[in-house]
Amino acid sequence: MASIFDLVSFKDIQAEEIQNDDEMIVIPLVGPALGDIEKPSNLVFEKTTGYGKMQFKNIGDKLAIVPSNLMIRGTGAQDHAMSGSGIVVEKTTHVFDNACCIEQSQSGYLKSQNNIEDVLPISLRRSLLSLSLRNHKSYDKLWPDISDWLKGLDIKKTSSAHLNYFYNDKNIKEELEQFAAAFEPVQDQIGAIIFFGKDPVGIEIMSSPEHWNTYWKHLIRGCYGAELLRLKMLNVLQPSTLKLPRVTKDNTLEDITQKIESFSKKLIQEMVDIVKNIQVTNDIRISIDNRKKVEIRLITTKTGGGDIILQESKPVYMSLVL
Amino acid sequence: MVKKQMKIDSGILQFAPKGAFYEDASEQFKAIFNMWTDLFQYDRTLFCLMSLLNGTGFSKGSISHMLLSNPQTGKELIPKTLAFDYETKIIKYNLRKEKTPRALKNLLMLAGKEGTHSNLIDTVNGKKRVNNSRTKKIILDYIFNRGHKDLDNLAVNYKGKLKKLIRHALGNVDLHKILNGDTKLFNKWIGRYYANAMPVLLYLFDKELEKNVVYAHYKKISQVQLLKKAAIDGDVNNFRKLMKGIPILTAMGLRNCYKVPIEKSELYTDTTMSSRQKLTSESAAKRTGVEVEVDYKNQNIYDLWKVFFHKITIKDLEKIDEIFEALEFQGKKINKIDLGDVAVILDCSSSMKGSDKRPLHPFLTAISILSSIDNIKEIIPVGGKGIVRTLEDGSNYLYPEGSTKLWKGLIKAAATGIKNIIVISDGYENNIKGMFEHVYKILKRKGHEFELIHINPVFSADAKTGTTRKLTEDTIALPVTDYKYLETELLFNRLIENRDVVEQLLLNKYRKLIGG
Repeated sequence: MASIFDLVSFKDIQAEEIQNDDEMIVIPLVGPALGDIEKPSNLVFEKTTGYGKMQFKNIGDKLAIVPSNLMIRGTGAQDHAMSGSGIVVEKTTHVFDNACCIEQSQSGYLKSQNNIEDVLPISLRRSLLSLSLRNHKSYDKLWPDISDWLKGLDIKKTSSAHLNYFYNDKNIKEELEQFAAAFEPVQDQIGAIIFFGKDPVGIEIMSSPEHWNTYWKHLIRGCYGAELLRLKMLNVLQPSTLKLPRVTKDNTLEDITQKIESFSKKLIQEMVDIVKNIQVTNDIRISIDNRKKVEIRLITTKTGGGDIILQESKPVYMSLVL
Repeated sequence: MVKKQMKIDSGILQFAPKGAFYEDASEQFKAIFNMWTDLFQYDRTLFCLMSLLNGTGFSKGSISHMLLSNPQTGKELIPKTLAFDYETKIIKYNLRKEKTPRALKNLLMLAGKEGTHSNLIDTVNGKKRVNNSRTKKIILDYIFNRGHKDLDNLAVNYKGKLKKLIRHALGNVDLHKILNGDTKLFNKWIGRYYANAMPVLLYLFDKELEKNVVYAHYKKISQVQLLKKAAIDGDVNNFRKLMKGIPILTAMGLRNCYKVPIEKSELYTDTTMSSRQKLTSESAAKRTGVEVEVDYKNQNIYDLWKVFFHKITIKDLEKIDEIFEALEFQGKKINKIDLGDVAVILDCSSSMKGSDKRPLHPFLTAISILSSIDNIKEIIPVGGKGIVRTLEDGSNYLYPEGSTKLWKGLIKAAATGIKNIIVISDGYENNIKGMFEHVYKILKRKGHEFELIHINPVFSADAKTGTTRKLTEDTIALPVTDYKYLETELLFNRLIENRDVVEQLLLNKYRKLIGG
């Protein structure tokens, strides 16, 4: 099978300087905008029309993409998450009826205002890679996985499948903000490769820097930061620190600059090579709109997978957990 | 049990609840509030005296709130050289030093009507509203202890706020009695400050004047009364005539409330605006087709940079040269701090854009700080993107964007051989974490002699110590969220370790500013 990079053939995308905090390492990906996709501010989450039904409105005049596993948390209403990514055609409203409730014993429907948006943590996204679970129209389908995910964590409540027990915890909230702060978007950034230590855990590519600027915090804080913090709380992640380059007394200031620059370049190359070697094990088309020439494909790797969206046969979006 | 170490820095004087790129205002407030509480409990006198130093209106208002909501018991250790009512004197002094809108906001904090974060004050002191005899006197003193012309202007400009404050200070029962002619009560609470204040009180509470009471001294109030009548009657011509010389917000309020068919542009032309109002409403006025004459030369450097970047962003370049001249003028006029030769590393990364509530604040503060430092030999910007000022001269101005390679800036600064290196940054490296400190240690090991000063224009509730994020273990981050406080910060930072010296210094300041 092909490597992920061969398969998606994103052109002109380059890796930028590494950013890290604790065990999380992020390689920013920069490049030109992909395809012709509506800007994120024109895609609005409107409400939940029933349990497991999330309604979005695209007020723009191009196709809009709902990021994979987008999670909406409100107050006094059942929080929801998308089972995958989604497409909302221009000037239309679309209800995704295979969404998941993520707050077991809470009633009430979400409205458009006063919500917090994030993306589901890695493990729960992995659960939704199963096509049958993803397509299953049952609002409670993720509750067993959420309960497992919360198990063993030192937070006030873990009794029900409420993801907000985790996200609303005062200390966790603060730590997640710090994670996000350490990974500021760089110019022209459209994506990132994310590692825990030297293990790749995700590749995210959005359609444009504007999309990345809108969603990077959802991903870094809600998805990757949350999972990293959970693993650390459970003591299952080995601490790892980057060994910074050594400098001798005779090195001039220019030498030091060069050493750090080449250390950084080498590190990027090593990490990109790790991702290049990840093989795709399965590739399924899960939805297609011939009129709009757009399709969503679900690809899987040995340990994970995720969605790729193609517009006129060219990739315009990718979100994989590895 | 190990006693909790008190965390304190001059951030306690510089807080404004505006939020930052990564944190909302309530998170920041919490960190600052803990500092206020700690210092208050540690040494009430020091806490109060400290508010004489330069600081934000919000911080001083909150400090006053804390002092007034915890009445003096007489058991506090007050230095012999201070009178028992020194707190009241300091609170009053600070109020008079503030611009009127800020002073009124600080008083409204006492009425529980101002400061969105005062719910936190609640949890500690048990009271959001503070209404004791001292508070009452301070409020009424501030409003009525002034000349008639001043009172006339105050009443016209801030009618709504004054109503709330007076109601809070007097209580509904006494207010009702006073408005209905109880002269004994009036003299007790208001007449002691200004005997002829009754017409003002009646105006503020929309009461009819008694036959023998006239607005003789109060020309503005009587003009506003007539303006209001014209608005109610729909007499547009008279409204137009009477609005001349009236504050724009008052005239605008009556126009909007009574739907007087007068163009906004006429209001901008014929009413009065403060110098700062002119600066802040320049663009809005321009959209209505009116050119507001702004005296740029007399604005402060922060406001000038703010307008400068705003105009460049919206590509309104008409007055840019004038603003630039004013920047140069103010840059020369400003009191500069001499630290010897200095190299400055300027963080221009995305997070220096600040929060939505206060866009560009960290960056504008950073470049304003540059004007407050003497002998800058080198400025090393890190990150940022160039924005072109005009097509003709192609001048490039940096705008915050992208990530931060601060370590590279440090190497460049060290290469200059300059002994004082100032880094102005929010403290987020957004690169390989710890690389700045790594390079700092390498340079020190290699024998580069320099003193590193980290100025952080962003408060951070998640800072490990104090209110700002540090870049290296042995360099304290100095929180400076307003260029005017740079000197305060440098002094505070050096002296805080020595409580007696600080206290003596502040006592001297008290005597100099307020007297015995």
